[in-house]
Amino acid sequence: MESTAKKRRCSFNKDWETTYHWVKPVQGDSQRVFCEVCQSSFSVSHGAPERSGREFGSRKPRREEGEPRTEKMPLDQDWTAVYPAATPFRAGSVPLPVRMGYPMKGGVPPEKKGNLELIKIPNFLHLTPAAIKKHCEALKPFCTEWPSALDTDAKCDEHFPIKVECTDYVSSGLSVRNPSARIVQLKVKLSILNLDDHARKKMLKLVGERYCKDTDVLTITTDSCPLRQQNYDYAQYLLTVLYHESWKTEAWEAEKTVADMEEYSWEGSPSQKNIMDMLLRMKVAGEGEGEEVQEQLLARSEVQEYKDSVTRLKNEGDNESSVLQYKEAVKKVFNL
Amino acid sequence: YFTMLNLTSASASFQACQSEKHLGQFYTLPSAHFRPLFPHGLPYRYQQQVKTFNEACFMVRPPALEVISYLKKADYSKPALRYLFYGVKGSGKTMSLCHAVHFCYTQGWVVLHIPDAHLWVKNCKELLPSSYNSARFDQPLQATTWLRNFRTTNEHLLSQIKTKRRYVWTKRESTDEGRPLGELVNQGISRVKSSSDVVGALMKDLRLQSSQPGADFRLVVAVDGVNALWGRSTIKKENKSAVDLEELTLIHNLKKLMKNDWTGGAIITTLSQTGSLYTPKSAYLPQELLGETGFDSMDPFIPVSVPNYSEKEFESAYLYYLDRKWLQHPQSRTEDGKKELSFLSSKNPSMLDRICGFL
Repeated sequence: MESTAKKRRCSFNKDWETTYHWVKPVQGDSQRVFCEVCQSSFSVSHGAPERSGREFGSRKPRREEGEPRTEKMPLDQDWTAVYPAATPFRAGSVPLPVRMGYPMKGGVPPEKKGNLELIKIPNFLHLTPAAIKKHCEALKPFCTEWPSALDTDAKCDEHFPIKVECTDYVSSGLSVRNPSARIVQLKVKLSILNLDDHARKKMLKLVGERYCKDTDVLTITTDSCPLRQQNYDYAQYLLTVLYHESWKTEAWEAEKTVADMEEYSWEGSPSQKNIMDMLLRMKVAGEGEGEEVQEQLLARSEVQEYKDSVTRLKNEGDNESSVLQYKEAVKKVFNL
Repeated sequence: YFTMLNLTSASASFQACQSEKHLGQFYTLPSAHFRPLFPHGLPYRYQQQVKTFNEACFMVRPPALEVISYLKKADYSKPALRYLFYGVKGSGKTMSLCHAVHFCYTQGWVVLHIPDAHLWVKNCKELLPSSYNSARFDQPLQATTWLRNFRTTNEHLLSQIKTKRRYVWTKRESTDEGRPLGELVNQGISRVKSSSDVVGALMKDLRLQSSQPGADFRLVVAVDGVNALWGRSTIKKENKSAVDLEELTLIHNLKKLMKNDWTGGAIITTLSQTGSLYTPKSAYLPQELLGETGFDSMDPFIPVSVPNYSEKEFESAYLYYLDRKWLQHPQSRTEDGKKELSFLSSKNPSMLDRICGFL
């Protein structure tokens, strides 16, 4: 190309195709050239392509992305090899058609490819049962055998009534210590402990939320001390103290009112007084005095039934069947 | 399965109607009975219905029949038995109570009917300190209205019963022993200030007298909304503190009546959530509404459940409305229409009444 005094714009030259293989002409515009590497066109009105330094060699050509790995995964592959450790979600490695996200109007949740929502959340793909089995196999050399005599739960409970649970944490980081490792949980069944009626009620009141009625298990969780051993000692101490305190009777416990009672007891209640009054006035048992008459009345089956129904009504609260039972009992007492 | 059983004033035919064969059928109250017996005490919507149809019809339903059978069988030398109607809202408790009360009326008993105990614990415009006991409060307005209604109901009996004690109202006024009860009642109506005390005296007298072996009358105490007696009240004293229920004379006397230390009568009550204060809307079982104290005072009592209409009763009510030309909509006459009504109202008597009102 001649550069004359008069400047004029350059245009496409056929020779460039041989020199630079990535050059192709653009239809309809002789002053632009198409680069096959970066799939774009640029103007050459200021000179030959080599002058535009941005193309040649300074940018790595973008290679095509291949098939995702999911296509090539056999059905009986070893999943623990795909996800050996905790890694973020890789859409190309998980052969599941997972969708996550808010579906826009008339649409569906977006697919997994390029889905940031799936990458953000923690996943447990590295902890499948197969992986856990491998972990257990790896840990087995470090463990001792379970005693063969303790094969049922009942036997375990019998020989080892107090169960202590602590957790160890492993992580890779600057420090091996984990503050959550100090928590100690102590579980014991109250039926094991030698408690009489008063002691049991007092224990339940002292312990409050920590007792589960359905399984009869008292759970003491201690985490107030910094070390596990300290927490364990504290939990043992708490159990001992609870046991001994519930056996003691304080002077102020005599002030226990009806409202404090855990369950309804019919003896001495207004209900008993009412029915005794009524029966006496109805002169059912014939003429008699005081105690004997009372006992006689109490021994009658109708009165016993009545007592049962009232206790049930008060303890369970209202429901249709208990009210009906009460009605039947009252009718029997009045001989209706 | 729906016939109108017409009553004459002869109680024998009435007795015949109250048997199980007539379950689901309607019977009409003769108007001679209606006006004196129910100056108060019927649900408001029912009163309007009576005015529209020009007749008062009750459906014969199992709960009321049950109580009436007990009343027939009971031994009146023993302490008074207590019956309690309970059920969901609108299932017909007040109507069952009125049915039982009507039965007692035809038997010639003295009827002490308190239409709604809730009215006595709320919206009180005048609260006077009691003349009899200075710690308590009187409610003159409520007491006078009730005395008036009581007089209308029991006119014929009031002249026959005599007082047993002497009551001194003020320095100048007193009622002597042996005067007819009617005079006592009139005294209360005319002297508004002492009306609550009159109510108390009346209750005490009737209680004592019906317990006597030689008494010639029986007493039925019918209280609607009895759970008001043990609930809370919204009446405030002048220093804005709430009034305790024990401090109200009317309530105090009524509670004394509810105790079964008297003989020769019966106590029929209903629970009511509608007027009650500080109770949740879904509560309808006895213990929930009565509370601990209420249950202990009412114990032992016979709870009678009042359920919604059964199939047969619903049919009967539907045919009654058709017969009275209350259902005007053409589709209400079809089978589909009936099924729709049954579903919409879920066979609840008051709901059915309200829905049919639109048709």
